[in-house]
Amino acid sequence: MNDLSVAKSVMNAVPVSLPEKISIRDLKFYYGSNLALKGITLPLYANHVTAFIGPSGCGKSTLLRVLNRMYDLYPGQRAEGQVLLDGANVLDPGLDLNLLRARVGMVFQKPTPFPMTIYENIAFGVRLYESLSKSDMDQRVQSSLERAALWPEVKDKLQANGLSLSGGQQQRLCIARTVAIKPEVILFDEPCSALDPISTAKIEELIEELKTDYTIAIVTHNMQQASRVSDYTAFMYLGELVEFGETTATFTAPRQSRTQDYITGRFG
Amino acid sequence: MDSTAAQSTVASRDARAQALSWLRRSDTIFRLVTHGAALLVLGLLGAVVLSLIGGAMPALRTFGLAFFTVDDWNPVADTFGSIAPIYGTLVTSIIAMLIAVPIGFGIAIFLTELCPPVLRRPVGIAVELLAGIPSIIYGIWGLFVLAPWLQTTVQPALIYVFSGVPILSSLFAGPPFGIGVLTAAIILSIMVLPFITAVSRDVFETVPPMLKESAYGLGCTRWEVVWNIVIPFTRVGVIGGVMLALGRALGETMAVTFVVGNAQRLSVSILQPGTTISATIANEFAEATGGLYQSALIALGLLLFVLTFVVLALARLLLARLDVKAGK
Repeated sequence: MNDLSVAKSVMNAVPVSLPEKISIRDLKFYYGSNLALKGITLPLYANHVTAFIGPSGCGKSTLLRVLNRMYDLYPGQRAEGQVLLDGANVLDPGLDLNLLRARVGMVFQKPTPFPMTIYENIAFGVRLYESLSKSDMDQRVQSSLERAALWPEVKDKLQANGLSLSGGQQQRLCIARTVAIKPEVILFDEPCSALDPISTAKIEELIEELKTDYTIAIVTHNMQQASRVSDYTAFMYLGELVEFGETTATFTAPRQSRTQDYITGRFG
Repeated sequence: MDSTAAQSTVASRDARAQALSWLRRSDTIFRLVTHGAALLVLGLLGAVVLSLIGGAMPALRTFGLAFFTVDDWNPVADTFGSIAPIYGTLVTSIIAMLIAVPIGFGIAIFLTELCPPVLRRPVGIAVELLAGIPSIIYGIWGLFVLAPWLQTTVQPALIYVFSGVPILSSLFAGPPFGIGVLTAAIILSIMVLPFITAVSRDVFETVPPMLKESAYGLGCTRWEVVWNIVIPFTRVGVIGGVMLALGRALGETMAVTFVVGNAQRLSVSILQPGTTISATIANEFAEATGGLYQSALIALGLLLFVLTFVVLALARLLLARLDVKAGK
C-alpha cells in the first residue's frame, strides 16, 4: 500500500487500465555495498515502448540489466525487491536464467555480431531452443531479417561474415537475432549510440514497428530519440525514479523541476 | 642594420643546412644499421639451413629416402634409417598435445570465465611458474618420481584394462617399464601446459564483455558461450598458442632424453621405450666422430627443422581455411 502511494506521486497521467508486462516493485540494486537503485517502482506496459532517461550514472542501464538478470554474471552485484514478468518474480533465485533470457531479449550499445556468418548469427540463437528443419530454419532466418529491415541488403550474402556488414547493418542483425528466438520483451541499451543518423533513424523506425509484437524498454541519452520512439518515459536521477508518465506529457509538461531541467538541457 | 640582420639570418640558415646534412647522413647510417640487423637474421637462418643440408648430404646420398623410412639405426654397421626417432617424436608430441590442450583450455576458461577473483592471480601465477622450471628438472622428476609411480600404478592398470581389446591391447602392451613413450609424452604435456594456458587465457581476455553478454542475453549457457563465441572469436590466437606448444614439444630434448628410454626401435606399444629425434642427437653426438654417423645425426637435425617448419605452415593453412569457412 505504501509502495503504491510512493509510486503514484511520480506517475504522470498514466491510464491504469493498460496491462503490465513487467512490474518493477521497490527494486534496490547493489554493486557490492554501493546502492545503485534506491527502490524503483515502475510498470512496463505490454506492447508499448518505455524509455529510461537520465544523466550518466543515474542507474537506467542498471535497471535494464536487472530485467534479464544480466548482472548475475558478475559476482558482488545483487538486486532486492520484485520484478514481475507476467506476475512471476524474475529475481527468484531458482529461476532458469536461460529461459528468462529467451523471453527477455537485449540489444546492446554497440553492434555485437557473433564471429560467424550472417545466417549463423540468426540460426545460432534459434537452435538453442528449437530444432528446425533446414527449410524452416531458412524461413525463420528470412523472416527475422525481414522483421529487422535487413533482408533486402543481405539476402545475397547470407554466408558472409556478420562482421563484414556496416555498423548500422550489424545492429539490425543483432535485432534480427534477438527477434528470431521470439522473445516477449526486448531491452535496448542505447542501441544507436555507435551509429550514424541514417542508421539511427532506421533503428528508431524499427522499434516503432516492433512494439506491435513486443514490449520494449529503451535506455537512451538522446532526448529527441526518447520523445520520438517511446510511449512512456521514466526519468531517473541518482538511482531514483523522479518521474514516470506518458512521453508527451513528460516532455511537454513535466511535473518535477529536475525533469524539466534535464530535458531542456540545463543539467545532466 | 638590415644587412647585418640579413647576414645573421643567412648564417643561421647555413648552420641549419649543415645540421640537416649531418642528420641526413646519420639517418642513412641508421637505416643501413637496421637493414643490416634484419639481413643478419636472414643470413644466419640461411647459414644454419645450408650447413645442416651440407652436413646431412653424405647420409642422405648414401641411404636416400630409405633414411626416413627404414627402422635400422646401426652405428656399428654404419647403416642408418631413422623412422624410429621420427615416429617417437611425432607420437610423444601428439600424445602430449592430446593431454595438454584440453587441460590448458580448461584452465584458461576457468581463469577467465568462472574463477572467483581471489583465486585468479594465484592460479595464473602458478601456471606461469611451471614455464619457468628448467627442463632438466622435469627430466629428473620424470625419471625418479613419475616413472616409478607410473610403473607401479598406471601402466599395470592400462595393460590389464586393455588386454584382449583389439588394437588397444597392442597400443598398451606390457611389460611396464616406467620409462617410455607415454612417460615422455606426459612430461612433455606438463612442460607445454603453461604455454597453452597463458596464450589462451590472454586471448580469451580479449573477447569484448559485450559480445559475451549478447550471447548470454540470448540465453546461452556458459559452455555455449565459450564454445560458440569465445573460442571462435579467439581461434587465431588459440591455434597460435597450440602451435607454439607443439613446436616446443617437437624440439624438447633434455627432459625427454631422461624418460623416453632411448631405444632405437619402432614399437607400437606406447608403454615401451622409444626415442625421439632430439634425444637421439643429444645421446649420440659424443660418440659420432665424423663420417656417416655424424652426417646421419645432422640429417636428423635437418628433419626436425623441416618438421617444425611444416607444423607452422599447416597452422597457417588451417587458419586460412577457417577464415574461408567463417565467410571472411
